[in-house]
Amino acid sequence: MIDPILDFIFTNLDPLIRIIIYPGITFIMLFTIFAVWYQRKFLARLMLRMGPVHAGKFAGWLQLIADSLKLLTKEIIFPEHSYKKLFLISAITLPVIPAAAIALVPFAPGYAIFNVRGYTGILFLAIMSLYPIFIVLMGWASNNKFTLIGAFRTIYLDVAGEIPLFLAALGVFVWAGTYDLQDIVAQQATMWFVIPQFLGFLVFFISYFAMIEKAPLDIPEAETELVFGYRTEYTGALFLDTMLGDYINVLAWGLMMITLYFGGYNGPAIFADPVLNGAFWILFKLIILLAITYTVIISYARLRIDQAIRLGWYYLIPLALLNLIITVILKYVVLEGGV
Amino acid sequence: MSYDMHRYLTDPFQEIEELGGGLFKLNIGPQHPISGQGRFIVLTDGEIVYDIEVDIGYSHRGIEKILEYKNYIQAVVPLERMVMLDTSNILMGFVRAVEDLYGIEPPPRAKYIRTIINELNRISSHLYALGLFAESAGWNPAVFIWTTVDREPILDILEMITGARWSHSFFIPGGVRADLPRGVKERILDTMDYLERRLEVYEDAWIYNETFRMRTEGVGILPRDKALEWGAAGPSLRASGVKYDTRLNEPYSAYPELDFRIVTHTAGDSYARGWVRFEEIKVSIDLVRQAIENIPEGPVKKALPPRPVKEETLARAETARGEINFYIYTEGRDKPYRVKISPASFRNFFVIEQMPKIQEIKLADVPPLIYSFDPWFLDADR
Repeated sequence: MIDPILDFIFTNLDPLIRIIIYPGITFIMLFTIFAVWYQRKFLARLMLRMGPVHAGKFAGWLQLIADSLKLLTKEIIFPEHSYKKLFLISAITLPVIPAAAIALVPFAPGYAIFNVRGYTGILFLAIMSLYPIFIVLMGWASNNKFTLIGAFRTIYLDVAGEIPLFLAALGVFVWAGTYDLQDIVAQQATMWFVIPQFLGFLVFFISYFAMIEKAPLDIPEAETELVFGYRTEYTGALFLDTMLGDYINVLAWGLMMITLYFGGYNGPAIFADPVLNGAFWILFKLIILLAITYTVIISYARLRIDQAIRLGWYYLIPLALLNLIITVILKYVVLEGGV
Repeated sequence: MSYDMHRYLTDPFQEIEELGGGLFKLNIGPQHPISGQGRFIVLTDGEIVYDIEVDIGYSHRGIEKILEYKNYIQAVVPLERMVMLDTSNILMGFVRAVEDLYGIEPPPRAKYIRTIINELNRISSHLYALGLFAESAGWNPAVFIWTTVDREPILDILEMITGARWSHSFFIPGGVRADLPRGVKERILDTMDYLERRLEVYEDAWIYNETFRMRTEGVGILPRDKALEWGAAGPSLRASGVKYDTRLNEPYSAYPELDFRIVTHTAGDSYARGWVRFEEIKVSIDLVRQAIENIPEGPVKKALPPRPVKEETLARAETARGEINFYIYTEGRDKPYRVKISPASFRNFFVIEQMPKIQEIKLADVPPLIYSFDPWFLDADR
C-alpha cells in the first residue's frame, strides 16, 4: 500500500522538495511570516513606536500567528446581494497567482521550482498581470461602493503602472539578448544589470509601487478614502487570504527586481553549496529591498489617481521607451551585439 | 440663498438608481477611518464629487442646556467637553463672558498664566490637527504618530501646572485655580526649544514634501470673498488672506502686552490652511516664551461678587479652530438663563459643504479638504 507512494516520492524527490520546501510553499509561507513581522517592526521604528512586543519571547515574532488564529476563528460574512461564488473564488485564487509566478524565478544555477528554459521572463510577467484582474473581481463581487471604486482604481493604476514596468523589463531582455530568467541571472555574475539599465531600473522601481499597491501608489486601497479598498468586505479567513496574496505579491515583484537588476542569486561564495549560497544572497537582497520599500512607504503621501496616471503616461512610459532605445543603440550599434 | 438642509438625509439607505445619471451616494462615516463622530454624505460618480453634505449631531450632548442648571463655576466642567484637545481656549470665551457679566477683571498674573495655557493648548491642538491632515492626505500614520509623540511634553507641562493632561478645569471666572508650580519655567523653555527642533524636522520631511504638496495644493480653494460670505473661521479664514484673529482684533488676557504676528496666506487652498496652522505653532512658541519671561507677580484669582451686574453679554475667544462666541443671558441669578455657543467647527462644516459648488473636487481630495479645515464634530455638536 505504502510502496507506490514511497516509490513516487523517491523518484520525484528533487521536484517535490522544490515545490513543498524550498523555494516552494514552505519558503513562501515562512518568508511571508517574516515579512509581516519585519514590516511591522521596521515601520514602527520609523514611526517612533515599538511595534508588536508581547506575543513570543523575541520582539513579538508570534504576533502574526496570534492574528491569524484570531482571523481563522472569525465568521466569514458574505455581503448582501454579493456574487458569493466569485467573492469566494477570487479571494482564494489571489495568493496563488504570485506564488505561481515565483515558480519561474531561479534561486540557484538551474534551480527553480518549475525548471523550464526559454520565455520564462515573459511568462512571469504574463502570470503576474492576472493579479489585478482578481482584485477587480473581488471588488466587483463584494457589492459595495468602496470596493467598486477600489476595483476601478486598480484598473486605472494598472494601465499606468504595468505598461512602463513591462517596457523596463523589456530593456533588460534586450540587453541580455534573452527572455530566459536563468540566463539573465547567469549573465549578471560579472556585472549587475542595474548599471547598464539604470534608467530602466528607475522606471521599474517606481512602477513596482503601483504593482504592489503600497504608498505612495496605494491608491486602490487608500485607507482614508476607501476604508480598505477592494478588500473592505472580506472577513476572517478570506481576509487573511487576501493579505497573504498581498505579501506574496510583494515577494514576487521583489524577486523579479532582484533577478532582473541585482544579480539574482549571484554573490561571493560564502557557502560551498550553490543552493545555500543562492538562498543567502537572495534573502540578503530581499531584506535590503524591503527596507528600502518600507522607507519609501513612510516617506511620501499617497498620490491621487489622476496624478498617478499622469506619472505613468507622461514620465514613466516615455522614460521606459527612451531606455529601450538607448539599450538597443548601445547593444547593437556601439557594442555590435556583444556585451 | 436657498439652502436645502437635508438634501440626502431623508433616507440613509437610498440606493444608486434613485439619484440617476450613474451617480451614487457614498457614506463617509460614521464608521470610516477618517470620519470621526459624524457622517459626510458624498455624491459622486466614482471620482468626481458633486456634492458634500455633513451630517452632524452624532455626539450631541446638550451642553447649552446643561449649562442652564449649573452655576458659573460648575459650568466649567461640562463646557470643557466640547473639544478635549483645546479645552482651555474653549473655556476662555466662557470665562470672559462671565467676568464681563460680573464686571470684574482677573489679576495680571492670572492673565499671563491663562495666556501660557491657551497657547500650549493651541500648539497641542494644531499638532494633532496637522497629524490628521497628513494622514488624510494619504500618509501612513507616521506623521500623525510623530505629532502625537511631540504633544506629550506639552501635555506633561499642562499636567504639571493644572494636574490634568486634558480637561484641566483650570480657568475659573475671576482668575485661575492655582499659581504656577516651581520649576515650570525651565521646563517650558526646554520644551519650546525641543519643539522648535522638531518643527525643523517636520519642514524637511513633511511640510515641504513634494507628494504632500501635490495632494493638497490647489485643492479646495476658498476665495477671500467666499470665506467672508460663508463665515469660515480661524486658520481657514486666515489662509484665504483675511487678517482676522480675536487675539489681535479684540485682545484679551495678556495678548495686548505681547508682541506677535498673525499668520496669513493668500492661496486659500488646503495646503495654505495646513501651512497657516504650522506657522501658528511657531507664533505660539514665541508667545509662550514671552509670557513666561514677562510674567508679573501677584495673586492669581479674585472672588466673584454675589450677583452679576449685567443682564446679558457676548464674549469671544480665539480657539485653535477659530473664533468661539458665547452669548449668555442671565436674570440676575448666579446661573445663566440661556447660553448660546457658536463654535468655529460648525461654521467650517458649512464651508466644507459649499466647496464642491465653486470647483471640481475629486473623491481623493475629500479627506484632505475636510481635515485642512480641522473641523471637530464634538465642537460642532456641542
